[in-house]
This record gives sequence, structure tokens and C-alpha cells, in this order.
Amino acid sequence: MNMKSLTANIRGIATLPLLLTVAAIILLFLLPKFVTSTYALHIMILIFISVIMGSAWNILGGYTGQYSVGHAAYFGVGAYTTMILLQYRHIAPWYGVWAGVAVAVATGLVIGSICFRLRGPYFVLASIAVAEIFRVSALNLPGLTNGAEGILITEVPPFKIGNAVITDFMSKVPFYYIGLVIAIAVILATRLVQNSKLGYYFQAIREDQDAAHSLGINLTLYKNAALAISAIFTSLAGSLYGLYVGFIDPGTVLDLGLSVQIVMTCIIGGIGTVLGPMVGAVVLVPFSEALRSNMIAQALIDSGLVKEDSPIGTFLKEQLSHAHVLIYGILLVVVILFMPDGILGFIKKLLASKRKETA
Amino acid sequence: MKKLVALLLAVMFVLPAVALAGTVKLGFINSITGPEAPIGENLTNGVTLAIEDLKAKGIDVDLVKEDDTGKPDKSLAAFEKLATRDNVVGIVGPYTSATANADAKLAERYKIPVIIPAASKEEITRQGFKWVFRVSGTTGDYAGVLIDLATTLGKPKTMAILNENTDFGVSGAKSAKEIAEKKGIKVVFEEAYSKGSPDYRSTLAKVKATNPDLVFMVSYVADAILLMRQSREIGLSPMAFLGAGAGFSVAQFAKEKEISNGVFSSTQWTEEAPWAGSKAWFKRYVKQFGKAPTYHAACAYESMMIMGQAAAAAGGDREKTREALTTGHWNGILGEVRFQDYDGYQNQRKAVMLVEQVQNGKHETVWPLKDAVKKPIWPFPGWKK
Amino acid sequence: MAAQRCGQEAHLALPGLEKVTQFEGAGSKDHVPGQLTSLLLAPCSYFLYYMIVFFQSLISGILIGGVYALIGIGLTIIFGVMRVINFAHGDILMIGMYMTYFLFTVFHIDPFVSIVITIPLMFLFGAFLQKVFINRALNALPQNQILLTIGMGLVMSNTVMLAFTSDYKILTTTYSSSSVEILGISVSEPLVVSFAITVAITAALYWFLYKTDMGQAIRATAQDREAAQLMGINVKRMSIIAFGIGSALAGTAGALISPTYYIFPQVGSVFTLKAFVITVLGGMGSIVGATLGGVLIGVAESVGGVYIGSGWKDVIVFILFLLVLLFKPSGLLGTSKD
Repeated sequence: MNMKSLTANIRGIATLPLLLTVAAIILLFLLPKFVTSTYALHIMILIFISVIMGSAWNILGGYTGQYSVGHAAYFGVGAYTTMILLQYRHIAPWYGVWAGVAVAVATGLVIGSICFRLRGPYFVLASIAVAEIFRVSALNLPGLTNGAEGILITEVPPFKIGNAVITDFMSKVPFYYIGLVIAIAVILATRLVQNSKLGYYFQAIREDQDAAHSLGINLTLYKNAALAISAIFTSLAGSLYGLYVGFIDPGTVLDLGLSVQIVMTCIIGGIGTVLGPMVGAVVLVPFSEALRSNMIAQALIDSGLVKEDSPIGTFLKEQLSHAHVLIYGILLVVVILFMPDGILGFIKKLLASKRKETA
Repeated sequence: MKKLVALLLAVMFVLPAVALAGTVKLGFINSITGPEAPIGENLTNGVTLAIEDLKAKGIDVDLVKEDDTGKPDKSLAAFEKLATRDNVVGIVGPYTSATANADAKLAERYKIPVIIPAASKEEITRQGFKWVFRVSGTTGDYAGVLIDLATTLGKPKTMAILNENTDFGVSGAKSAKEIAEKKGIKVVFEEAYSKGSPDYRSTLAKVKATNPDLVFMVSYVADAILLMRQSREIGLSPMAFLGAGAGFSVAQFAKEKEISNGVFSSTQWTEEAPWAGSKAWFKRYVKQFGKAPTYHAACAYESMMIMGQAAAAAGGDREKTREALTTGHWNGILGEVRFQDYDGYQNQRKAVMLVEQVQNGKHETVWPLKDAVKKPIWPFPGWKK
Repeated sequence: MAAQRCGQEAHLALPGLEKVTQFEGAGSKDHVPGQLTSLLLAPCSYFLYYMIVFFQSLISGILIGGVYALIGIGLTIIFGVMRVINFAHGDILMIGMYMTYFLFTVFHIDPFVSIVITIPLMFLFGAFLQKVFINRALNALPQNQILLTIGMGLVMSNTVMLAFTSDYKILTTTYSSSSVEILGISVSEPLVVSFAITVAITAALYWFLYKTDMGQAIRATAQDREAAQLMGINVKRMSIIAFGIGSALAGTAGALISPTYYIFPQVGSVFTLKAFVITVLGGMGSIVGATLGGVLIGVAESVGGVYIGSGWKDVIVFILFLLVLLFKPSGLLGTSKD
């Protein structure tokens, strides 16, 4: 199945998909010119961050088969480094972000050299434990992280080259473009990895660690390489989140729930594919926002399908927003039981069975 | 796929929200779900009553409720939506300190008046913000009134501080330490515990070993009960147990009289509060929702009343609403409310704090003495074995 | 900030010392005799306080550890038989807590008595979960199984939240804060009772797994699924029974801590992670190991909380966990299968 999807992807660099991709990118770059709603931009930025996190995890989890459920650690380390440097050392974020990346990669390598000795469920548990250690430590080291009170920045300093102000970060547009560029970068990186020798090593490790080892592939080295690439982008996502939201605390950027969400984005979209995390993010982010803000219930009422004062209407209005995590949970169970290869895998299977019917 | 969704999103959000004529459109952000939901419910109910009362005054409020699940990023999304998509005139909320602190910045950026009903972290109104108003008292107010009471009734020399390791707990503990030291009380023990542990016995044993005169705690509902139960087990019996609002001032805590009798807690409002209409409002709340309100409900009610009146008088203009809030004053179940600049605060209500003590399984207002319903019992009478 | 932390460390290092110094300062003028005695007694009382605090934390750690053990045993049986990491374990415990709460408030059945009802109900609930959900994913990738159980946990906790709101429920019995004092150390009565029940249940479980045919079959399945199947053991049925037992144990643990803890829909997450640590510590699939692991974690939390700071409790537990994973991956009592 993997060889097949590999060859399919290599052949996938045909002209039509390439044109479509370029068109999509151009469209996304032009979007802020037409869309003035900051709320729409906000959702788009959240989608970009989710794409970055998901794709970054995908390199380690999807291609190398190391299912880390502790990626919040790299997200949080990136966010904290950038924010601490900005807030307490007055170091501008475009330097701080790279410090964040360096710290995240360094922690990643330390964690990796410890945890990669473990396999299967043990690795999963160890990755959770490490992320939890980071969360609790951030809570208990107020001198470094300001503890439970979190770090609140009032503004991001303007980005200047020489004396020319490139952007002052007062609107969402600069964050939109930064998010978009990093998202494109991580997708390019995934593509490069997929088709390189490195990628073949990663996938060999995913398929059978022992076989890969006997072929002379250095397991520790390549697992750590995958983790390092993954940590770079996860940390960038964390820094972008911190600067954009302007507030971080251990409960939001180092939370186990965040780690789960990262994995979920990939699994729902389709694990080990370039498009999977994108599909996952594009489905999950607007969906959870619509549930949180009760937009779905409101839409049902506005469309006249459900009367506002009918029992169903009041139930939807009062309860649906309470139920958003419940619906999330049900979605998770359904996807795993009935579409174990995610939405992409499900669509492929549907197409394949249709093709069989016609043939 | 991605293109399509992007387009759809664009179409969905660009459409301007249709404003209803003759009404004011206001936003309300609260922790409707998530770990803070039990207290969040009080705020929702308080606001529901305020909407009814505003209607009686001829002000129709088109209220947009948003859930922030107690998380700052979700709260920002909610604020963003209210400010730019729903185009509300003003916002009441959010509940917790962490979310309120994050949202305050957006209020300033979007120039939209916000009244924070119940978050007490001091910094929120100390950042020079023009658009952020706060009805709630500050953590300093909570600690101050308790330490006032303790130093008036007795001569405490030492104090232990135990707080949950959250934004609320940490800022409460900081204020308490600062105020205690100013009054010459030595803080002999301080520790932030992680919320939700089933066993605080060893920590309490450590507190007992330092033999403090006062034990000051900042906790939410469940931990407050747990801490007191285990204090009884351990036999920790100081001159007084002081609880800074939240978990110590809910009815559920008072009901556990075996462990709650004699405990002081500071609060912004009680049923017997010396302000007009408090008692009637309490009864109405109980009748409508089947449970007793906490001070959060009263603060949220008052915040929405003020925002509704100010916004209606300003004809739905944000800048005029802000001016009305800065200059106006209101009289309600929290007494007279003005937003003032003092001690480094901007647009902050000078809260008149009350102290309640649990006596016979009920919260009784015992401080300040002129408003007291019952006499405070001092010192802590000790545990009944 | 730094000063504040320094102060804290000083207390950690020298409990009791503050009291002595404070006495000297405060009473130096008017209580000369008092000061003298206190000076004479100072080293003595310092030692006494030190010992009391230590034993206090040790004993409450062991007692709490008993309940942890029960949670861990449940998880270890599930993992042993199915090789599925059950992330809904804490949420199953939460269901047990709510059951206990309603049996107490509606039917006035004492929590320690109501386990007679909770155990069979929770067994059925677990068996149902296994039959309907987990059995379908037995051959799925491990990360998918983990996410499946996480999803199930979310569904459970949020359904409970919709049904009973997110209010904290407090179950107050006459003995919720009772204690007996032994040599200056207070011992919580409800914890002692729950510890005794834990011991009894563990003993019964041993008897079941080692002395009955069905128990043998479960153990055989845990040891080697395929071999057990070849020997004619109905592996699917054994899985259902194992998940049932695991859930019943988690539910019982929930019932046992109800009188001294509080109940809310998200309470499970506290225990899920702990359960893993305990299970891995003892050796995945080892019941003796899980028992030991539970007590060990209880003591590590309690004693660590005193000498390192209660905020660091979880870090201590997780570091212990990582150390065991790295240096003795089969757990303290597990036999290596590799």
C-alpha cells in the first residue's frame, strides 16, 4: 500500500495538479485583498497554524511511524522561548523565533535520544510523560515563565529593515502571510522528505524497524532527524501562535489536549500523506469554531429548518454549544472505527470501488 | 478543497451582520463549558436577569452569548467574532482572570467598551487601558478586608498561604503576602498546589508544623472543601481560616458545616449585603434558577445592567458608551458603582468588600461590623471530635 | 520573584525551625521562662515535627496508594489481554463515581456498601464498551486505538456533563473527615476502610485468576493471544470479560474515593495518566506489579510533595516513570518478553 501511494505521489507531479496548486497559492496570497473581515482572517490564521502543526507531526508520526502524543512540548518550548525573549529581554521576535527553533530542536534531540529506545505504546506513553514534565515545570518556575499567570504581551514591535518599516503587526494581515508562508514551507518540506533518500529511510523505519536496522539504517539517527524537522515547524507554529494571540500559559501551549489535537488533525485528514494534515485542519478548525460559537444551531434556526421557540430549537440553542466537545469525541470514534485511513483514505476507497463497478 | 473552503469562509464572514433597529446589540463572553463552568453558570444566570430588567426599563438587548471554555485563545476568538462580525456595541465578560487579561488588549485595539464582571487579577485594570472597565474588586481587595478583620479582632503574627497553582490562585496569594507583610504579619509558609489532587494531607501537615496564626487559602469550590476536610483530619487549628472568595463563598461549601463552620471568606456581595434590593434579587434568583447565587451572579447582573443602560443612552455608539461609562454612576445591588482611577488603576470600581463567616452551615455577613448580620466568632473554635 | 522562591525553599528544608525562631523573637520580653523551655526543647521539638511530618506523608501516601493500585490493576488486566492502551480508564472511574453518588443521594446506600451494586454494573458497562467499540479496533494501529479510547473518554465525560451539568458533586458521609490519631499522626478513617477493601478485592482477584478455569484462560490469553486461540480459548470472549473486570475495578476505585474526594465530569483525566504510570512501573500486565506500583506512586507523591513541593508532585511521578521505562522497561516486577 505504501509503495503504491509513493509511486502515485511521484506521478502526482503532473501538470494539472501543479497548476491547481499554483492557482490555490495565488488565491490564498490575494485573499486578504478581498476579504476585509478580520474574523475570517482569524479563522484562516488558525487553520494555517493547525496545518503547520499537523504537517510537522506527520513527518515524525506519519512517515517515520513514531506516534508522539507529546508534541505540545515543542509547540510550548517554541512559544515560551520567543515570548520570554520578547517580554523580558526585549529581543525582537524575528530573532526570538529562531532561538525558539534552536531550543525546541535541542530539547527534541535530548528527548529523542531518551524516548526513541522505546517502541510502540511505550514510546507513546513516554512522549506524554515528557510533555507533562514540561507543562508542570513551566507552572512551577515562575522566575522563568511567570508560572500560571502566563506571559501577556501588549504589542509586537514593528518589523524594520534599516529604517523602513515593513509591517507594524497592528492588523491580522502580517500574521496571515507569515502563517501562509510557513504552511507552504512545511508542505514543501514534507514533499521533499517524501521523495528523498531520507524519506525512504523514514518509511522503512515505519514499516519495520528491525528490518530497517538489518539493512544498515541507523535507527536512532534517522528517528532523531525526523524529530528535528518536526520540532522546527512545531516550534514555529508555537511562536506564531504566541505572538498572534499575545498570551500564553502552560494550560494552553503545553497542554496534553493540544498534543491530542495535533495527532487528531492528521488522523482525521489521513496519516502519512502530504494532503492529510491540510484536509484535517480545513475540516476541524472551522467545525470546532462553528460549534463553539453556536453558529450551526443559529444557521439551522435562521434557515427555517428548526423553529427557534420549538423544543428542538431551544435545545439546540442552549445545549449544542455545551456539546461541542461531545461531538468532537463522537467524530473521533467514528473516524477511527469507520475511516481508519482518514477522510482522504475514505475518499480514495470510495473512488476505487466506483472504478471497480464501472470496470 | 482548500480553495473551496477558503472561498466559502470568505463569503460566510464578509456578509455584514444585520443590526436590528431600536435595540442595542451587546456581547457576553463566559466560561459556559470547561472546568470553570460551574461558576460560569452563575454569570449566565445573572446576565439573564439583567436582560429581563433592562427590557422592563424599555431597553431591548440583542445579546450574543459566546463560550470561551475558560481558555484564552478561545476567548480571543469569541471577542474577535463579537467585535468584528457581530458588531456589538459593548461586551460583558469574560469570567476568568486569564481570559479577561487576554481580551482586555483586544478591547483596546478594536475600541470597544468591555466590562469585566468577576475577574480579580490586579493587572487587568493597571495597564492604562481606556476601554476596559471592571466591576469586580481586585485580589488585593479580597485579601485586604480579611487581613483587616483578623488584625482588628486578634493579634495574628504569622500566616500560611496555600493557593491553587492557577492564574487566580497565584495572583490572590501575591496580594495576600504583600498586604500581610505591610501589616507586620510574617508569612511563614507559602505553597502553590496543583489543583485536583486527592491528597493534601502531607502539605497540610507541613503547614501545621509551622504553627501559623492565620491560614489563608485561595481555591475553587471542590478543593476548598477537600482542604478543610483534610485540615480537620490533620487537626490544623489556627486562630482563623481565611478564604479568598471563590470556593469558600459558595453555598455548597457552607452546607458542609462539619468542616466549614467558623471559616471566613471575603466576597463582593451577599444576600444580606447592605445595598437596596439585594434580598429581593436573591429571592428572585433562587425562584428562577432553583439555587442560590454567588457574588459572581450579582457582579455579572450589575455589569450587564450598566452596559445596557450606557449603551442605550449612547444610542449604540461605542465611543459615547465609553464616555458614559467613564463619567456615569449607577445604583444597584452592588451599591453605588463608579469607574475610577486610583492607586494605578484605571476604570476600576472601588469595591466595598464584605466578609462572611460560616455559622451553623450558613454564610453570615460578619464584616464590616456596621453591616454585620451576626457577630464574628473569633478565634476559630477548634474541631469537634 | 527570586526572594519569594528562596523563602519557600527555606521552609522546605527546615520545617519547624520557623516556629522556634519566631517564638524567640516574639516572646523575648514577657515570657522569659517560656523562652527558656522552648530553647531547651527546640532541638527535640524540631526532630519531633520532622518525624511527624514524614510519617504523616508516608501513611497517607500508602493509603491513597491502595486506591491507585486498584486503578492500575484494572488497566493492567486490560492491557495484558488486549494490548490496548485504554485512555478512557479515568472516565470509566468517573462513571463509577457518579453511580456511587446517586446510589448514596437517592437510595441512601453507603459508598462502601454500594460497591456490591457498582461492581456488576460497571462490569456490564465495560463488557459493552469492549464488544461494541474496542473489539472492532483490535487489529488497528496502536495510535488509532489510543485515539479511539481518547474519543470514548471525551464522549463519556461530556455526556455526563450534559446530563448532570459540570457542577462539583460532593458526597458527604458522617465519616468523610474522620480520623484517628496514632502517636501524633492522624490516619483518615475512610482511607483505612477503602485500603482494607482494596486488599480484599485484590486477594479475590488473585484467587479468580489463578484458581479458576476462566482465570487461567484469561491469563493464557494475556500471555499469548494466538497460542490461546489455538488451544481453543474463546479469545474475543476473554477480552470482553477482561475489559469488564478492568472497568469494574476502575469503578470500584471511583466508589472508594468518592467519600473523600469530589466528583465532576472531567475528574477522570487526573487518574488516567496516573494509571499508566502505575501500570508501566509495575510491568504491563503484572498484577502484583500494579499493586506495588500504586502504593509506590502514592508514597512518591505524598513524600515528594512535602520535601520538593506539592506543585512538583507530577514531575516526580513522571520522572520515576521515565527512569523505569529506560532502565527496566519490563517494569519493576515484569519479566522481559523481548
